[in-house]
Amino acid sequence: MRRRRLLLLLLMVLTVTAASVMVSAQKTKTFTVFLSEPLPDYPGSTIVGDIIEKETGVKLQREYLVGDLETKVGLMIASGELPDMLTAAHFTSLFKDAGMLIPLNDLVEKHAPNIKRLYAKHWEQLKQEDGNVYWLPIQAIPYDTDDSRYPELGFFINKKVLKEAGWPKIKTLDEYFELIENYMKKHPRINGERTIGYVTLFDSWRSFATTNVPQHLLGYPNEGEFVPVLEAGKFVVRQYHTSNAAKAYYQKLNEMYNKGVVDKETFVLNYDQYIEKLSSGRVLGTFNQYWQVQEAQQILLRDDPESIFIPFPVVLDETIEEYQRDVPYIQATQGLAITTACKDPVGAIKFLDYLIREETQHLVQWGIKGQHYEVDENGHFYRTEEQLKLFRDPDWVRDVFGGPYFYNSFPNLRGIDKNGNSFMPDRQPHLIYADSHESEKEVMDAYGIKAFTEFYNKPRPRKYYPLWTITIPAGSPAHIEQTRMKDVLNAYVPRMVMSRTRDFEKVWAEYVKAISPLMKEQIKVYQEQIDWRMENW
Amino acid sequence: MKIPAMPRLFAKKTPTLAGKKSFWQTLMKQKVLLFMSLPFVIHVIIFKYIPIWGWVLAFQNYWPGKSIFDQIWVGFDNFKWLFRDPVFYQVLRNTLAMSIIQLAFGMVSSIILALIINEVRLVFFKKTAQTISYLPHFISWVVAANLIRDALSTDGGIVNEILLKLHIIKEPIMFLGIPQLFWWIIGASHVWKEVGWGAIIYLAAIASVDPNLYEAATIDGAGRLRRIWHVTLPSIQPIIVILLVMNMGYLLSSGFEQQYLLQNGRVIDYARVFTIYELDYGIKMMRYSFATAVGIFRSVVSLVLVFGANYVAKLLGQERLL
Repeated sequence: MRRRRLLLLLLMVLTVTAASVMVSAQKTKTFTVFLSEPLPDYPGSTIVGDIIEKETGVKLQREYLVGDLETKVGLMIASGELPDMLTAAHFTSLFKDAGMLIPLNDLVEKHAPNIKRLYAKHWEQLKQEDGNVYWLPIQAIPYDTDDSRYPELGFFINKKVLKEAGWPKIKTLDEYFELIENYMKKHPRINGERTIGYVTLFDSWRSFATTNVPQHLLGYPNEGEFVPVLEAGKFVVRQYHTSNAAKAYYQKLNEMYNKGVVDKETFVLNYDQYIEKLSSGRVLGTFNQYWQVQEAQQILLRDDPESIFIPFPVVLDETIEEYQRDVPYIQATQGLAITTACKDPVGAIKFLDYLIREETQHLVQWGIKGQHYEVDENGHFYRTEEQLKLFRDPDWVRDVFGGPYFYNSFPNLRGIDKNGNSFMPDRQPHLIYADSHESEKEVMDAYGIKAFTEFYNKPRPRKYYPLWTITIPAGSPAHIEQTRMKDVLNAYVPRMVMSRTRDFEKVWAEYVKAISPLMKEQIKVYQEQIDWRMENW
Repeated sequence: MKIPAMPRLFAKKTPTLAGKKSFWQTLMKQKVLLFMSLPFVIHVIIFKYIPIWGWVLAFQNYWPGKSIFDQIWVGFDNFKWLFRDPVFYQVLRNTLAMSIIQLAFGMVSSIILALIINEVRLVFFKKTAQTISYLPHFISWVVAANLIRDALSTDGGIVNEILLKLHIIKEPIMFLGIPQLFWWIIGASHVWKEVGWGAIIYLAAIASVDPNLYEAATIDGAGRLRRIWHVTLPSIQPIIVILLVMNMGYLLSSGFEQQYLLQNGRVIDYARVFTIYELDYGIKMMRYSFATAVGIFRSVVSLVLVFGANYVAKLLGQERLL
């Protein structure tokens, strides 16, 4: 009797499993996708991921970037082996040039009402010369823009320096280095190790953290290699690599290098070593874009909150008005694309349509209501102290919660929604100050601000912004010129900074001679594109 | 340094009497051997000969996703561009310099290590030393490069610390920032990583030396060094020559990860080798045709080098590869 019952049970289990396998076989679709961000492989099951998989029946087979994206893209195109969907940062257009992407216009029109609605504001910018849209930018700003705790870029300075100097507001390059130098004289060692005055990042493609600086000293936001200057009502593309600001900047670094303020090995550090140094708490200053130092800042907030980095909009001299912050923009020239290898483009676009709608975005960025965030009587989202604590652990957020696996590389919403909530929790307007770390609050209180962005001026609207999203045609003369120019920067910037002070003028003259003939073709391409954007955007 | 005359160990094959007729006989006799080698021949054809078809890319302005009939043919333009590019000569110099340094120091150090290990009597020590010496071979260059960067750092790197403690230098030296030093760092790190691995083949060769020779030499009153000089070295000489000739073929293709991972802007003029050049000025710019042209140039030069080395070996009356 018992045995029979057992058998029956077994049979039932078997049928149920078989049935469920059949059902899931019918329902689950699998899409392969290449994502140009370096994340560890998807853990297989996360809170966010499981919900999305259940609701859409779509399973993603992800390949994350390992190594150099430019190389990977080159090899992908050469081999013709494509995933169903891909993101490739600013190399996305190369796939279009190779005829490997499918136009999305009709798909979106017929199958993706949410994409149509939420990208409506940007749609014209996304059209290529043939009138087709081939990719969805990773971020859409459907309604209003919002603000953040940290600016996009700045000359960062160790909190200890500010505190000891009585919270000065830093404006010019000279002031900045004077503060660092003075502090260094008083404290030659921090935690028993040598104090490092200033580090500049010069690792392969990240070297823009060093070479971009002259444009910011002139008050411009991050335009890239060149800046469009408003001359007689028209944006004219100009170079800044041989400007007075560049000379003053490299000369200052040279002076500081010879004084021992600039780290001796700053030009041979790779990114890992750079982050390691910053997070040791003994570095006093560095220039960078915030996302490149964020990792170190998070480590400092956890382990050594008194040594966090505070950004300032530093310019060359008092006469320059700074507009270093980004005009809110979407990266119109890159995004997620569906390739010709995709057998089910309708399924793919429906999946993306599901991802971009507000409900999914709240799930990916905020979490589950009542579990990961609460709503107050005004309909504003917030997190309790306990929930905040959970989200301060980056490992938990990534591996258990899983939001980041649907965030940076998939279409997302940014800005303030209709109810006044920011799509991004750390940009929730009334929480930027409230959710700050005690150590951050101390600095903000000392300066009487509610976010570090308040050190900066509001950005000047520029319709074309930014120049760096313009892609130079692959293999064109301008492209070769660009590589050669970067070679010159790579070779000469360390030389200028590391030469003896009396040799600086000589090296500078050599540098100007080497780099000057390598900009004409690029300026031509950028000028054409800026003109086109001013007319068509 | 001239090596004293070495005894020839292998007697020349006695010429067979067989003429044309026996070719088929030999063939039939060796059919099992032929059959065994067939998969490798097929492998070589598929992976080494068929891809040569890709060389047509070098004469086009290749664009992916188009058929061969739609490509634009440009003749020798890619080669002209290559030879006119000042960077090319820099790259050629760097590649040759680093390859020769690696080849020379790599071989010499491996041979010396093999000789030393061979002379060790204590089996336990011998095995341990050998294992430790070839362990770095299994570390990927990504990890090894970071180890080297840290070791050479001016900020507490072990090399600088030791030199400072020994009062050899007063200020830490930024080894990775001195262009002229880069080749030697590449050479030294190559030796560190590959010395044990390279020694294995020489150890194997040494193991096959007839012990009678050593006994005879001992009776003749030869000491250890004499035995190494007159017995061991001449015995492994054919292996050395063959490896040298084979490695000549890699002179222009050696090195990518090592240079790529250890380079920095300061030393780029001395660090860029062909593979990096092809990447920066070819594949990264979607100039596949140009990258192919560079590849052809390298292949042709490699062929010349291999045949040249082989010919020199023949002139010197040494064992040959071909």
